[in-house]
Amino acid sequence: MINFGFAINKPRAIDIDRNNLRKSNEIISEMPELQACIGCGSCTASCTAGNLTEFNFRKVHTLVRRGEYQGAYEEMNKCMLCGKCRLVCPRGINTRGIVMLIKRKLGDF
Amino acid sequence: MTFFAKFCIPFIVGVVVLFAVIAIKYLSWLRNLPKKDWKLIFSNIISWRTVAAAWEVVCESLLHRRIFKVNPRLGYMHMSLAFGWFLLIAVGWIETVAYMGFKWVPLQGHVFFKYFVPLNGITEHKPLFDFVMDLLLLFVLSGVGLAWFKRLRSRALGMKKTTKHVLFDRIALSALWFIFPLRLVAESITAAIYGGGSFLTGGIGILLSKSIGVEALSYTYEPAWWLYSTALGVFFIAMPFSRYMHIFTEIPLIFLRHYQLRPESKEKSYDNFELEACSRCGICIDPCQLQSQLGINDVQSVYFLRDRRYNMLQQKIANNCLMCGRCEQVCPVGINLNTLRLNSRSSMRNIPNEGRYNYLRNVDTSSGEGKVGYFAGCMTLLTPNTLRSMRQIFEAAHEQVWWADKEGGACCGRPLMLSGEVDSARKMIEHNKSLFVKHQIKTLVTSCPICLKVFREEYKLEGIEVLHHSEYILRLIQKGRLKINYQRGATFTYHDPCELGRGSGIYDEPRAVIKAVGELLEPAHNRKEAFCCGSSVANTAINDAQQLTIAGKVATELSETRAKTIVTACPLCKKAITRGTETQVVDLSEIVAQNLKQ
Amino acid sequence: MKHVIVIGGGIAGMQCASELLRQGVAVTIIEKEQDLGGKIRNWHKLFPTFTPADEVLTAVRHKLKISSNLKVRTGCQATSITAKKVTLSTGEELKCDAAVIATGFTLFDAKIKEEYGYGIYDNVITSADLEQMFNEGNVRLAQGGTPRRVAILHCVGSRDEKVCQRHCSKVCCVTGVKQAIELKQLFPKADIFNFYMDIRMFGPGYEEMYREAQTAYNVHFVRGRISEVSPTFDNRLQIKAEDTLTGRPLKMGVDMLVLLIGMKANAHNTLLSKECQLQMQSSGFMQPKDSFLGNVTSNVGGVFYAGAVTAPKNVGESINEGTAAAHSVIEWLEKR
Repeated sequence: MINFGFAINKPRAIDIDRNNLRKSNEIISEMPELQACIGCGSCTASCTAGNLTEFNFRKVHTLVRRGEYQGAYEEMNKCMLCGKCRLVCPRGINTRGIVMLIKRKLGDF
Repeated sequence: MTFFAKFCIPFIVGVVVLFAVIAIKYLSWLRNLPKKDWKLIFSNIISWRTVAAAWEVVCESLLHRRIFKVNPRLGYMHMSLAFGWFLLIAVGWIETVAYMGFKWVPLQGHVFFKYFVPLNGITEHKPLFDFVMDLLLLFVLSGVGLAWFKRLRSRALGMKKTTKHVLFDRIALSALWFIFPLRLVAESITAAIYGGGSFLTGGIGILLSKSIGVEALSYTYEPAWWLYSTALGVFFIAMPFSRYMHIFTEIPLIFLRHYQLRPESKEKSYDNFELEACSRCGICIDPCQLQSQLGINDVQSVYFLRDRRYNMLQQKIANNCLMCGRCEQVCPVGINLNTLRLNSRSSMRNIPNEGRYNYLRNVDTSSGEGKVGYFAGCMTLLTPNTLRSMRQIFEAAHEQVWWADKEGGACCGRPLMLSGEVDSARKMIEHNKSLFVKHQIKTLVTSCPICLKVFREEYKLEGIEVLHHSEYILRLIQKGRLKINYQRGATFTYHDPCELGRGSGIYDEPRAVIKAVGELLEPAHNRKEAFCCGSSVANTAINDAQQLTIAGKVATELSETRAKTIVTACPLCKKAITRGTETQVVDLSEIVAQNLKQ
Repeated sequence: MKHVIVIGGGIAGMQCASELLRQGVAVTIIEKEQDLGGKIRNWHKLFPTFTPADEVLTAVRHKLKISSNLKVRTGCQATSITAKKVTLSTGEELKCDAAVIATGFTLFDAKIKEEYGYGIYDNVITSADLEQMFNEGNVRLAQGGTPRRVAILHCVGSRDEKVCQRHCSKVCCVTGVKQAIELKQLFPKADIFNFYMDIRMFGPGYEEMYREAQTAYNVHFVRGRISEVSPTFDNRLQIKAEDTLTGRPLKMGVDMLVLLIGMKANAHNTLLSKECQLQMQSSGFMQPKDSFLGNVTSNVGGVFYAGAVTAPKNVGESINEGTAAAHSVIEWLEKR
């Protein structure tokens, strides 16, 4: 990359107009139940991986739904798929399925 | 002596193609076997295992003993076709010898012997052989008749659902259905014209000559043999590409299995023998709860193996399985269905990533010490009643316990393995293993059957005995370290968790513990046939409502025992069944802790 | 004289009965408990005005004058209900000209949410337990002493598909705020943390009370559902949640955890829908004929609803429905 001597800061706002929502829409159409999330945080609170790292499933999948994909795959890779979150989710979301789906859509398999 | 006629050509072509394709397949599969498997073959080939394998081939490939056990009518159908056909070939060969003496006769000479008899000027008939061959033909035809009937009405043969087939299967199936009726026709016409035959072909021959006349029949003579030969030829060509490949493949599979070859968590060449040994009989469909309780019809093992064999397996099929093992339990070929599905998932999803889970370094927050290590399991942290009960039990037995994951340790790795990410799961295995070794425990107790299975099968914990809490509690009771008050009038029913029962073979220990506390009432499906609670971590495809439907059905069956309490020994099963019933659901440890003698 | 049977002797049923009596109709109340009054007997003060529950109950009772036209049958349940006849659990059959179902709701059994530790840890209590403690004037920890830090968890057995309770119980949010204030009044030095998903302040004065709790009483509100409760070495409770507004996991030790248990539909409703062809919603609550014009009318002619049998409702709404049901019954009887 050419160094211009200055850098443009990544804008802080989530710019829905600029974000490409194609992948997000694909994810939601494959598992519409993800939209049922009420953001209660039970998944993150009970998360085995979240106990050891900064992994926050609720935040990552919410960002993905807004078209913010950067780093999402790497974050999802922290998940151990233990399934506690699925057991506590009050909306009955298939969280393990969501982790695998996001990884499939944003990763390479 | 002539043993060739033009009508033999379809048959000869079929046989050549069949054996060529089979030879190519087997050689390439064998060539690609990993070195480890070859070592196993060489070290076992000259041993009693070969004899045992040969005996099993007779019992299974010919007599279909295991199908008989599951379903006698279906067993008879398969046996009459396989064993009957085998006997037709064997007795046919002896018949040739009886007529010709020990002379070399080409293959078509044996198969179409009835045709070549008059051609070679043999006029004498041997009634015994005619009778035996007719009897065998009738035996096979009865099987064909049942097969036809099964297509029309599968329930009549004790199957609610029968398999849907691919194109090659349909071609081979149609040819197979016509082979024996056509043979009957050809041999009957021959008997009508040249005499011979017994009660069946002879009898029909007399009827034919009386009603149609020998002269008219002589025009149908060659075409009848042509049709018979063509049916055989078509069947043989379609066979190696269809489900009928199982006829031959089951034989090498049985030998390889006796030599201790097994499928593993990653795909390997040996899997081909298992894949193509599947006859697609469809016995695995009925026990599948996704089918019987949710009406999902395209994910069962038979379809999974089919899709994988023809390279058209999709993630949504591979992922949609509870891996409860109910199908594996009834598979007449004994295919390792769970392992094959697991390694398919691995091929689809396993991406080696060295950096993954590096965060596990330096996160050891475990404290305390003891000869017994207790690994509650992630799910058990959500059932604190189990944790409290285990604490009471440890205290009552005066056991020094190191609590491995009280503050939430790493996952055991089994859920990740079940989803196919085998290499990544190793990271967790190594992490947990190093903790167990560091704390110098002698016994590892877990309350979670999912953890138990991976500890036993993948951790290779030398010098550490791995126990499920049901085994551990029973041992404490038997050694007199726990004293329990028997509750007169208390009734319990027990739900076998898949990973504990079919997965790890633990059926009796939890039952013995329950019987020490009160009366045990068994549900309709138990032990090897027990239902899955529906919340299995192996399935990432079904949704919450579907899980709830399964849980409801399972809970209903348990409630029908009229037991006051439903007992299980898995936190996931407990959570699932609680959703489906008003009856109290508890973990095994709870009923023990509540009834401890002080 | 016309005869109407009111099933359920809580505030809605009592209000309905007294209105019917006033209109010159004979009434029989069927109550499964030994006394009339229903759930409100266990409450301490009512939101948002902190009116003593006893005051409201006394007023409703007072209106229900003892007369020869009023019969009360306690200790029994109705097993079949039609406009003509009500069958009791005793096997007895009572003839009538119309029936009002005012059987209310069932409190969610917090033991089912095992991870919250109700019935396992002594200092995990429900909102109903806390009301009783207020009534007895005895709010203290199980081991004695006053709490220094209390967590109040919203939505226990509401909006939770894992326990097959999809619906919102409506009154728990405001109850949680009310109880936080009451606790703060009792123990000014204690820290109170309300763990919520959404704060649903649907009634007049509720939002104002919420604001008062925040500013005048310094009650802390954390947006996140508690996922697990475990004991600490010093016999306190360790709770885990995500503080979703900061996006970070949160852990804290508390002396007491109050679970705001939701309203569950009565199991009795299933029986009604099966035996009496009365429509039931998927939530298990009964289905009124119309959401706007027939809130107290059932799909069966001559059978009416009052109170929380059709949906979670607060005390005021239930009393109003008692009156409304009585009016609808009179209208129906006049048409006959």
